[in-house]
Amino acid sequence: MTLRVLLVEDDRELRATLRDALVVEGYEVLTAASLSEGLALVAHATRPGGAADDPAIDLVVLDLGLPDGDGESLLAALRRRHAIPVLVISARQAEGQKIRLLDAGADDYLVKPFSIGELLARMRVALRHRGTTVRAAVTHYRRGGVEVDLPAQRVWRDSAAVHLTPTEFKLLARLVRTAGQVVTHRQLLADVWGAEFTEHTHYLRLYMGQLRAKLETEPAEPQMLLTEPGVGYRLAEAEE
Amino acid sequence: MESRPSSTPPLLTLAQAWPALLAWTVGWAAMCWLDGTVDLANLAMLLVLSSAVASLWLPVWASALAGVVAVLAFNWGFVPPRGTFAVDLHQHAILLGAMVVVNAILATLTAALRQQARRAGDQARRAEQLRRWGDTLRDAIDPLAHVGQLQEALAQAAGVPVALLVLKDKLPAGNDDDAALHVGQPDADQQAGLWVCLRQGQAMGPGSGRHEELADAYLPLRGRGITLGAAVLCGLGDVPHLADLRDHAQSLCDQMGLALQRGAAARDEQRAREQAQTQGVRNALLAAISHDYRTPLATIMGAASSLDEQGDRLDLGQRRRLARSIVDETTQLSRLTDNTLQLARLDAPGVTLRCDWESAEEIVGTALNHARKRDPQRRVRARLEPGLPLLWCDAMLMSQLLDNLVDNALKYSPADSPVEVLVRRQGDRIVLAVQDRGAGVAPAWRERVFEVFHRGAEPVQPGVAVPMGARPGAGVGLAVCRAIARAHGGELTLRSRSHGGSSFECRLPVREPPPAAEVGGSAP
Repeated sequence: MTLRVLLVEDDRELRATLRDALVVEGYEVLTAASLSEGLALVAHATRPGGAADDPAIDLVVLDLGLPDGDGESLLAALRRRHAIPVLVISARQAEGQKIRLLDAGADDYLVKPFSIGELLARMRVALRHRGTTVRAAVTHYRRGGVEVDLPAQRVWRDSAAVHLTPTEFKLLARLVRTAGQVVTHRQLLADVWGAEFTEHTHYLRLYMGQLRAKLETEPAEPQMLLTEPGVGYRLAEAEE
Repeated sequence: MESRPSSTPPLLTLAQAWPALLAWTVGWAAMCWLDGTVDLANLAMLLVLSSAVASLWLPVWASALAGVVAVLAFNWGFVPPRGTFAVDLHQHAILLGAMVVVNAILATLTAALRQQARRAGDQARRAEQLRRWGDTLRDAIDPLAHVGQLQEALAQAAGVPVALLVLKDKLPAGNDDDAALHVGQPDADQQAGLWVCLRQGQAMGPGSGRHEELADAYLPLRGRGITLGAAVLCGLGDVPHLADLRDHAQSLCDQMGLALQRGAAARDEQRAREQAQTQGVRNALLAAISHDYRTPLATIMGAASSLDEQGDRLDLGQRRRLARSIVDETTQLSRLTDNTLQLARLDAPGVTLRCDWESAEEIVGTALNHARKRDPQRRVRARLEPGLPLLWCDAMLMSQLLDNLVDNALKYSPADSPVEVLVRRQGDRIVLAVQDRGAGVAPAWRERVFEVFHRGAEPVQPGVAVPMGARPGAGVGLAVCRAIARAHGGELTLRSRSHGGSSFECRLPVREPPPAAEVGGSAP
């Protein structure tokens, strides 16, 4: 089954370029030039021969700063119906809006200008985490000599067991579950410490530092536990 | 003595009555004592003397009355036959008559003299007040700050409550009370009167010839051909010598008006100068940015048009290289755009940073990650002092700052020399330094590299090493770095290293981090 992508982008040139690039990669692409058009497509698109409640769209690439409003209404409409992954494309000036959408459940973001390679990589990760491809929910992670087994709550580095405190493990586990995707400070704090700690970013700084010291070869130049300045953290994708 | 009665003055004040009474008492006592020792004419002279002394204090009517009563009493007590008002001898009648007349003349003359003296005193006081007020205003940078003093001066001069309305800037279209400074407590009518007076630029009220029926006098604060405020002297109608007082009050007001006009002119001039300066800076910035955009744009244009027009004649490798150079130059343009945008944003008044507690290690780590794309030989190294406190900063901006500095160091130092990113604590500052072993920066350029690029301000001589800041691309980058450092309450400076090379050092203030004791309180 061909994966279907909804591309919401108001700039004609960029929309055409991205559509061509995605088609080359084997995606089926629906395009919308405005939020209302996107909403209409989400509401009415059907897959030929598909069941009525089968999601007609597999992934949405959403540009912020559309002429008819921000993307929050579209995100809400998507979330109401299906767990369709959403990639946000933002310009530098739309920092606040980008983070709001990520906090509200958008999967990842790209800052303009970006390369097709980056876009495809982000899309692959997002699709994987939604279980639309063969891969099941993430329970194991392996990269650069580090191995994490979530069910067994064990962590190894270069085949030697690493002792993590419960909080460190919880933080790492949260990142492993969405490996390759950005997780905002707010989401991490809420999931690991609890909803009342969402402003305590300094906890994250401390615990990420400790995790890096235990897992990274060069903590000052991390390869795995990556920082997205002003947004959150990203655990590098697992090795295939 | 400065205050004047605000209602009808009493006929005779205590201050006037006491000395006069004393003079009379002493005079009568002396006459009684000398009675029988000297003759009647001498006693009469004592009486005239007492009357003259008393009239120094008393008003004319009181002096005259006292004189008549005294003459009658003298007649009754001293002129034979004593105990009656009958006049015995012909000569005594002349004496008494002369006394009455002399008393009256004395009283009138003294009173006139006294009044003249008082007016002269008033004039002198007013002149002095005007002079002091002039001095105050001459030294005033902002005349609006002295509005309170004008109110005091007017109240002192007139002895009545005073309210003022002074325009802060231009005359508003409507009577907008927010556009003016208010002093004193005028009622609604007086407030409306102040606006009328201000708009018409003419005095109103008693003695002004306009709206004479008003109880209060309104005076405009006049400049040259413009009115900048108004004053109301409440209940001025009953004050004596109204014309003098009005003239004086108007002088005080006009001095203020002129000072306000001077202030407004100075403000306008300052504004115009700032505007011209801003315009100049903006033009320099636009010129610099356009210039910086030209180089990558030229490369992109060349590569893209080659692909477009010669694509079918190029082999795969050539096409790849062209595409690659488009991607690289676009990255360069993108960075330039980010820097320009940030510079514009940080330059705007009231910019807000998205500050949070950030770890220096993470910011440096991000910068290294970014740098690796342009640094395949791994020239960039980081050294962080252990145990650094968290930084209160905007992570996006700080990593932009480090990105720019690292990029700059990579660009302007030999391809095999190391570039170091150092972070250490120095007292109450955190120092983030990016050091290279390049040619360094000439002392004359050490400050100018941070200015937005101004090529052509100082022509570069052929054969002289071009300083870093004079090359395209460095200007906006370093200018935005300094703007970022300053927005965080820090500073970015350039130091020359002893064995060659430059060290760009950003110093940020250390803030007390939040208590870390509770961290992990709800660990699983």
